[in-house]
Amino acid sequence: MIAVLDWLDARTGYRGARRVMLDEPLPPGTGWLFTLGSLLLALILIQLLTGAFLTLYYAPTPDHAYDSVRYITSLGTGRLVRGLHHYGASFLIVAMALHMLRVIAFGSYKAPREITWLSGLALLGLVLAFSLTGYLLPWDQRAYWATVVTINISKLAPLGGELVAGVLRGGPTIGALTLVRWYSAHVIFLPAALVLLVAGHLVLMRRNGISGPVRRREGETTPFYPGQASRDVTVVLLVVAALASVAWYGVPALEAPADPADATFIPRPEWYFLGLFQLLKYFPGEWEVVGAIVVPTVAAVFLALLPWIDRGPERDPRRRKLVMALVMMGVAGVIALTTLGWRDRPLSAAAGWTMREIGGRAFVASAQCARCHVDGGMSDPLDGLLLTRGAEWIAGHIVDPDMIGPGLRDAPTIVHEREVAAMAAYVRRLSRQPYPGFAPPVETAAAVFARHCVGCHKIEGDGGTDGPDLTHAGSKHDQATLRRWIIDPEGVDPKAEMPSFGSRLTGVQLDAISQYLSSRK
Amino acid sequence: MTLPDNFSSGPSPGSFHRRGRRRTLVLFINTVVALIGGGLTALLSAFALRPAVSAGTRWVRAGSTADLRPNVPVPRVVTVSRMDGWYRERARTTVFLVWDGDQTVRALSATCTHLGCQVAWHPGDARFRCPCHGGVYGADGRVVSGPPPRPLDMLEARIDPTDASVRVRV
Repeated sequence: MIAVLDWLDARTGYRGARRVMLDEPLPPGTGWLFTLGSLLLALILIQLLTGAFLTLYYAPTPDHAYDSVRYITSLGTGRLVRGLHHYGASFLIVAMALHMLRVIAFGSYKAPREITWLSGLALLGLVLAFSLTGYLLPWDQRAYWATVVTINISKLAPLGGELVAGVLRGGPTIGALTLVRWYSAHVIFLPAALVLLVAGHLVLMRRNGISGPVRRREGETTPFYPGQASRDVTVVLLVVAALASVAWYGVPALEAPADPADATFIPRPEWYFLGLFQLLKYFPGEWEVVGAIVVPTVAAVFLALLPWIDRGPERDPRRRKLVMALVMMGVAGVIALTTLGWRDRPLSAAAGWTMREIGGRAFVASAQCARCHVDGGMSDPLDGLLLTRGAEWIAGHIVDPDMIGPGLRDAPTIVHEREVAAMAAYVRRLSRQPYPGFAPPVETAAAVFARHCVGCHKIEGDGGTDGPDLTHAGSKHDQATLRRWIIDPEGVDPKAEMPSFGSRLTGVQLDAISQYLSSRK
Repeated sequence: MTLPDNFSSGPSPGSFHRRGRRRTLVLFINTVVALIGGGLTALLSAFALRPAVSAGTRWVRAGSTADLRPNVPVPRVVTVSRMDGWYRERARTTVFLVWDGDQTVRALSATCTHLGCQVAWHPGDARFRCPCHGGVYGADGRVVSGPPPRPLDMLEARIDPTDASVRVRV
């Protein structure tokens, strides 16, 4: 064994290289605060590895991106790998912020380390670009809308904002070209830049040596390995253990598939962009460019110029009060904005099942969807069906099942457009959430509502606006009045514009809908 | 860059105690690196090598008896729907149905057993011929001449009551 290694060393000189890597002389007093660089290196390696392996299953097209991410998440190992990659990004951002704050507090960017500092800032920008591009890849609602916002912000850039937006989109709209473009940036261009910059950062760090404690201490330098290396490894172990447990217990979010037509979705960015997101709320109209472009640019320029603003040889933070105060204000601002952005969270509109969705279940049963959507059949059963299509596609498929697979299905069943809409709503809901089950009278009422009432009336925000909102119908009328009203509106109120439903509904249906409405207080 | 002369990661002439501490640290570092590296390697390998899900079989309708002719192989295209990872594949494959005119039907795969080309039925001499390397099979699927190593594969088939179905791998 030794002979083989000697042979190898004689030809590659690996022992010398290893010694150069590990025997970096460290000034006395280097301690735990100097472990963050190694931690970042470890986290970046984990991102590169997990990311590379995720590409085995990911498909960067709008038709398949969501399916493939869902497939990855459905595999036990895939959920973990995606979890490490997803949460690892957050860990990386936090570790980077801490590393940067340590460098600022210790004045480590001072001569001769200005270029090291700038390369570090470039790395920060690169990591933010990674998270922005990676965010789009699952192609779910969150990804889509966050990207819409990002690209619209880029339009505000002075001089050629539209051009920038066009380049980011790869065309006039966000779509297939945007996705491939961002994917390619995320897995080819950005990683290449990252590897080069990290290498440069490390070479610079080794060339100038690490800055060490703010006050130079007497004593001999010590080699990096194994003293400081074991500190670094301890921190890496703790953080990676934390990351692994987050990935183990957490399921990385995957919302409904991207749907440009959905007006109910409330887009929110990833937490580390929440501060910027919140900032935009304070700049009305034409001042928006201040929040979107000017403030971030000023902050970036300030950071880049720090080594020249804070020029003296003094490194002790207690004697650099002005710079520390400015930086602390910046940190406090970011934390405050992020917290405000975090708390300013509107409630999601559709928490429970709507009447339309419940009503769709009855129409699905009568439309014989189960002829194909059955265990072992041509398609998967509707329960737990992994659906990625939008409402229009589903409506088209219901009206003409042959549309997506000629020769595979029976002739289309003729159904009313409102029934189609209810079925589409039901199926879309079902793919996100199992059917919770409702009392049969409620199901009957829901079917009546979805077929006859929803065109003019709203319940909990879903429906038409020609007639009154029925969300609290029961607080004004009792069941008997409601029943009479539905049978013959003009009999109750001669000025009523509502058509009569006495001849269109059965007794059971009338009982169900009037009872349901009267129960809505 | 240059290192001080006395600078080396090799054993230093320190006390026995210092050497023991150094050995402990090295052991600790190696253990952690092995732990994290091993864990990641195991996870990523399992993720990448994900063993193929065992394939099952399924009955698929291949037509009705009205489409068939007694004792003559009739090609039918069956569509098999299956999940290929995240992709729903609707694989189409050709089978030859040989119906006895009553309640029995046999199904021959159209895939040549030599190298996988699709054979065609030639009614003139009642032979299946492979267009690739000249394999010739009789009406019952047995090899008549050419390179095929074994007869055409038989699939399970049934008639119920007028629908012909075959059992295919998914």
